[in-house]
Amino acid sequence: MKKIIIALLVLLLLAPLWSAVGCDLNDPDKDVKRLFPGSTGYKTTYRSIQREGGKPLLAQIEKRLGDKFSGLYETIDIPYTLYTIYKGKSIAGYIHGVNQKGYYGGLQVFLSLDTTGRITNMYFQKISSKNVKLYKASSFTDQFKGLSLRDFDAYSVTKRSGTGKAASIHNPAPGDKDFPAILRGVKKNLVLMQHFANWK
Amino acid sequence: MPSISAIAYKNLKRKRLRSFLTLLGISLSTWVLISLLGFNQGYERSLSTDIDNLGFQVLLTAKGCPYEAATLMMQGGAGLRYMPESVLDSLATQPEVQKLTPMLMQAVFDPTIGDTGAIAAFTGVDPATFPSMRTYLEFAEGAWFTNPTAMEAVIGYEAAELEQRQVGDLILVPDKNVELKVVGILKRSGTQDDGTIFVPYKALQQVFGVQGKLTSVGIKVHKNTDINAFEEKLYSLQDVQVVSMAQVKSTISSLVTTAKVMVMSIAIIAILIAMVGVMNTILMSVLERYQEIGIMKSMGASAGHIFRLIWSETVILCLLGGIVGALLALGLATLTESLIRYILPFSPKGSLILIDFPLVLRSIGIIMGIGLVSGIYPAYRASRIKPIEAIRSSEGEL
Repeated sequence: MKKIIIALLVLLLLAPLWSAVGCDLNDPDKDVKRLFPGSTGYKTTYRSIQREGGKPLLAQIEKRLGDKFSGLYETIDIPYTLYTIYKGKSIAGYIHGVNQKGYYGGLQVFLSLDTTGRITNMYFQKISSKNVKLYKASSFTDQFKGLSLRDFDAYSVTKRSGTGKAASIHNPAPGDKDFPAILRGVKKNLVLMQHFANWK
Repeated sequence: MPSISAIAYKNLKRKRLRSFLTLLGISLSTWVLISLLGFNQGYERSLSTDIDNLGFQVLLTAKGCPYEAATLMMQGGAGLRYMPESVLDSLATQPEVQKLTPMLMQAVFDPTIGDTGAIAAFTGVDPATFPSMRTYLEFAEGAWFTNPTAMEAVIGYEAAELEQRQVGDLILVPDKNVELKVVGILKRSGTQDDGTIFVPYKALQQVFGVQGKLTSVGIKVHKNTDINAFEEKLYSLQDVQVVSMAQVKSTISSLVTTAKVMVMSIAIIAILIAMVGVMNTILMSVLERYQEIGIMKSMGASAGHIFRLIWSETVILCLLGGIVGALLALGLATLTESLIRYILPFSPKGSLILIDFPLVLRSIGIIMGIGLVSGIYPAYRASRIKPIEAIRSSEGEL
């Protein structure tokens, strides 16, 4: 009994600290149903590089991403919101979003993934760009379906080039500076998910 | 020989669960009471700070209903009406005016936000006069605009965080496809400016094709100016409306008065429940110790001794409950504030709950007072127990 009371108090006290979350779904109930039509429920957890491994973990993530976290807003203490989707008692997949700096504003890149780390859907919750319609079109976002982090290993986010499936994603607005930012956002999301879901 | 308070404390420990539950009731009541009184204090102060931070005492807007004007000022709302820029010349001649700052609000639908889009708002300000009105604004990076017509933007901290912008980056005005260069990021100020994108008003007029038009003018008056008389004077200008900060304060205060009355009623109910709980606990305790009290009296304890003993139990419960409740109120102030923000139609940016030492003392005093009143009856009944009757029967009737 004593333990339950202490645990409840700790949860109550910590709740306000977690309220400033980086990239949440605007309408989780609706979005989960849309991305995982057969799902029966979901669980929201708040993850943090700082809490879960600090600088060594950040170094690992940056190494796999092939780029440093930079700027005022891409920092070690950002809280990430992970939605674990259930079908009955088993996990059906995950939804996770990241903020990524774009040319004209912040991009919120959300991925839904199966339990093996393959992208089942990709969409922008927010995107500021002159080519919004092209990037939001299913002809563009569908190209990410079925890809996993391995497909991005041969793509360099700093050189903005490479080989493999990720490098062959068609840019609907050639020359547009948001395209490399989108690929970086997707790769960052996948690298973080590899840690959060503990995929090898 | 142990003191009366030591015996009272020992008695409470004999029935731990019952004492704990009573203590919990008192603590929760104290928590609610302190949080609500703290809210009354904090809300008023934050609202005043928010409005004082606007830097001007009077806002002149284009004619419309007063609620629209207040919304426009506090939240950069929609339903824009314009007044000619020439109004600045008329205002500058008024002797009461110390400073003027023209403003132009513009809102545009941004289809890129979320699935259904949202409104993106821009605030056009005058780089020559606006910074001197908002002296509390500091820069995390960069500075104000390089010239009054530059296609530049200064962004509040939260807006910059959302847009991931730094000095030198660009932002796009939705729908217009116009690029603005970010020249400054403001530090977090705890005001509505944190979410604002400032642009030189001349540049904003050009972008939105509203040359020579303003949505509002902020006016700072000289000290000792009769603001009411000045407001009346301003109405001589055509198609304008005057909103004083005092008016805005009272409008918003009246909006939350109903909520305040409701929560205070809940607090009073909580206190009454705690009072009944204390009385019940002490009465039960007296009832159980009916024989024991009789023996104490037969051994020489006076009615006064018994009264003080029972009353002391009430004092201990209320004092401990009050302290625990105060700690709860202090520890959970952030959570309580989040709940209030969720419920209220408008919340100022500063701390909504202000709990200071005098408030804590006052609240514990109120709880103690209520507890002492609740303890009088059981203590009185205990002091009237007749020793012979009590020793003869194991339980009494009160």
